[in-house]
Amino acid sequence: MTKMDDRHQQGENIEVWEDLVNIKDLLLSIVICTISTLGGYLIAPNEPPKPLIFGLVGAVVGFIITSVVIKPKRRFRYMDEEED
Amino acid sequence: MDMVLIVELIAASAIGAILYTIIGIAPGTDETAVLAPVTLVLVLSGFEPIVILAFFISAIVAKKLTDSIPVAIAGIPGGVMSAPMVEHAMVLKKHGIPELSIRKMASGSVIGTMIAVPMSLLLANLIAPLSDYITEYASQIFLGGAIFLALMTKNRWIALLSILPFAFIIQGLRIFYWEVGIVPEDKTVFTSFFLGITIGPVILKLAELLNPKSRRKMPRYGKKEIAMRKTRKTKGFPNPFKILDKKEIGTTSLSSFLGVLTFFMSPVGMTIFLGETLTSRIKDPVKKATRAISSMDGLTNAAYISGTLIPLIAIGLPLSPTAIGPGGPLFNAPPVFTEEHNMHHMLTMPDFILATVIGSVVAISITFYITIKYAQQICAFVFRFIPHEAMLGLFFGLVIMLAFMDAGIVNIAGVLLVALVAGFLHRKGVNYGVQFMTLYAAPWLVSLFM
Repeated sequence: MTKMDDRHQQGENIEVWEDLVNIKDLLLSIVICTISTLGGYLIAPNEPPKPLIFGLVGAVVGFIITSVVIKPKRRFRYMDEEED
Repeated sequence: MDMVLIVELIAASAIGAILYTIIGIAPGTDETAVLAPVTLVLVLSGFEPIVILAFFISAIVAKKLTDSIPVAIAGIPGGVMSAPMVEHAMVLKKHGIPELSIRKMASGSVIGTMIAVPMSLLLANLIAPLSDYITEYASQIFLGGAIFLALMTKNRWIALLSILPFAFIIQGLRIFYWEVGIVPEDKTVFTSFFLGITIGPVILKLAELLNPKSRRKMPRYGKKEIAMRKTRKTKGFPNPFKILDKKEIGTTSLSSFLGVLTFFMSPVGMTIFLGETLTSRIKDPVKKATRAISSMDGLTNAAYISGTLIPLIAIGLPLSPTAIGPGGPLFNAPPVFTEEHNMHHMLTMPDFILATVIGSVVAISITFYITIKYAQQICAFVFRFIPHEAMLGLFFGLVIMLAFMDAGIVNIAGVLLVALVAGFLHRKGVNYGVQFMTLYAAPWLVSLFM
């Protein structure tokens, strides 16, 4: 059901950790998430556990931003019953 | 018994179950990376220990129930622990029955939980008198585990050879941090190295992207085609004992039982080893696959629950990979918990039983139901809207933050070093189990040479 289709076709994506990513998108995502997470940690008031909470919130924010900005490299569809 | 407390426990368990049902489905979410930080925050925020324990148990059960869903549907592991199941799940997917995988795995999880909870409580009581002895020889036990797991892998000689050098890298960095004064002498950098090993294969791959030559050599793909067959709705509340046949229940119970007994071993290693051993004689590929995934899922659940509960109740030191990884904050989260004053010392046996039972029952009732009924819808959402890049970015960001938290900016470089070496070893066939055991044994192993 999951096919690495287009293997011969001109594709842009590479495989990292069992799924496909675009190199530029991946770099963008790493930059955004690192800045938001580490940024959250650093701007928090220096009394535990606040830095950690801010960092986690930053991680979630970064995750949401990248999810909106970057499109998944999957083509998803439901199969009809007859089809195999 | 206090009604208010019971309501609090149920509420905490419900939140844990819902939160980790979602997180579990996301591909590539490592247990330590997603459980440890949240648990740490709860501990440091001053919640009651018993409430945190209920949350944690519920979170583990929910996470373990759901992280097999992407494996079944797309062959993408939902976490490190579900990676060994990919091969078998792919067999079922090829035969067009991925939803059967989900049912079998989830039912295996439920059986694993049901066996692990009472057995862990029992075993903890048996071990408690030996706790001084075990604490004394913990490092030797970990080294034995590393050697054992190394011998079990296909590339056993390189795995065996890697133990000592890898221990030197880890301990070398720690000693360097102490010498330079980046961390105080009594603090051992652990969490970030652990995450470094986990993310190693990805970091190595990213590092290779920096090299134009190897970048050009990488195979390029278009988009990943995922087609899902619409499944029929199941009616009523699913019953795990009807979903699994007698033989599967038997093997799952046996592997869960063994998973509890080997709580101090790396759960991934044991899953691979026991899962393959227990099913190697079955010829029919579909039967072999369903037996393997149900028993592996039972085992991972059992190993996680026992790995947390037994050291927590009996010893008070994180003497298992689960306890030291995802469960770490339950043992050591200064200033709230320290090795001399943590849940082990603060909770009584009835407390442990109450929190564990409520946590696991709430998680099973919520998550098992959701898993069986809505697996497809949840998967469809994740595949459509959550890019893999965001997942990797999130994970990378968390690792960098925890590296910084452990020992400042220098440790980011340190963790990258550990990750690169771990990624290289991983590629050469040294699995996570061997590397984690080495991480735990490193201080003692290196001290033998100094």
